[in-house]
Amino acid sequence: MLTKIHEGTAIPSTVKHITQERINLYAEASGDFNPIHVDESFAVQTPLGGTIAHGMLILAYISEMMALALGQSWFAGGKLSVRFKLPARPGDTVTITGRVDSIKDKNGVSYANCSLECHNQKDEIIVVGEAVIKFPEGES
Amino acid sequence: MATVSYEELIPGYEFPAVSYELTSSLISKYLRAVDSLNELEVLRKFVPPLAIAAYAMAAMAGSLSLPPGSIHASQELEFFKLVPIGAVINCQAKVARKLTRGKLHMLVLELNVFDQSNEKVQSGKATVMLPA
Repeated sequence: MLTKIHEGTAIPSTVKHITQERINLYAEASGDFNPIHVDESFAVQTPLGGTIAHGMLILAYISEMMALALGQSWFAGGKLSVRFKLPARPGDTVTITGRVDSIKDKNGVSYANCSLECHNQKDEIIVVGEAVIKFPEGES
Repeated sequence: MATVSYEELIPGYEFPAVSYELTSSLISKYLRAVDSLNELEVLRKFVPPLAIAAYAMAAMAGSLSLPPGSIHASQELEFFKLVPIGAVINCQAKVARKLTRGKLHMLVLELNVFDQSNEKVQSGKATVMLPA
C-alpha cells in the first residue's frame, strides 16, 4: 500500500491474463451469462467476432489495484467512472495503470483525483476513466 | 421472474428490488472468479465493492430482457460504506435514460444499494449499448 501520495504519484499497476475459463467463472459468480461472454458460437457471429470479458470483471481488477494502493479508504469513499473503449478478449493480457492527478482539500477532507487506463498487450487502450478517493485532510 | 423488454422500458421505470445475503461462500466464489490477490486484510471481513456492484447489476438483469450481444459501454460507481461479509443488501435499479442515435440504442440505468439499516452503501450508473 502507498504510504503517502501526492500529485503525480503512480499507482502500482496490475496485470491480469484473460482466459475464457476466467470469463466463465465470472459469469457463474455474477450470474451474467450474456452469450457475448460465454457462447463462442454466438459471439463469433456478432460484430465483436468472439467472446469478450465482462466489463465488470475489468472493473474488479481496477478496483483491486486501487484498494491495494490506497487501502480501506477505497472501499468506503471511492468513486469510479470509466468508459469501455475496446473489449478484453480471451488470450489478452491487460495492464491497469493509474496516476494521482490532483489532491484537493475541502471541509477537512482530501480528495485525490486519479486517472486510470487499461491497456491490452497491443498497447491499445481498452478502458479509460477517473477515480476519486477521499481521506481525512492531511492523511493522504 | 417476469422480464421486461427494452421496448417496454421508459425513463423512471423501477425494476423490482432484490435482496442478497452476502455470505462468505458467495464472496469466496466472487474472489476466485476475479482472481483476487487476496492480499488485503479488509477482504477478510468486508465485501469488495465490485462484488456488490456485480450483484446489483445481476438483480436488475434478472428482470430485464435485452437482446443477446448487448454490451457495457460505461460505468460509474460510488462506494459509501464498508459492508461486512454476512450482511444483507437491497439492490434497487431504475431506467435513467433511453437514447437512440441512428441505429444505436443505449440504456442508462441507475443503481442504488442499501444495507439492513437502509443506509446507502453504493450507487452507480451503467450505460448499456444494444446491438444494432
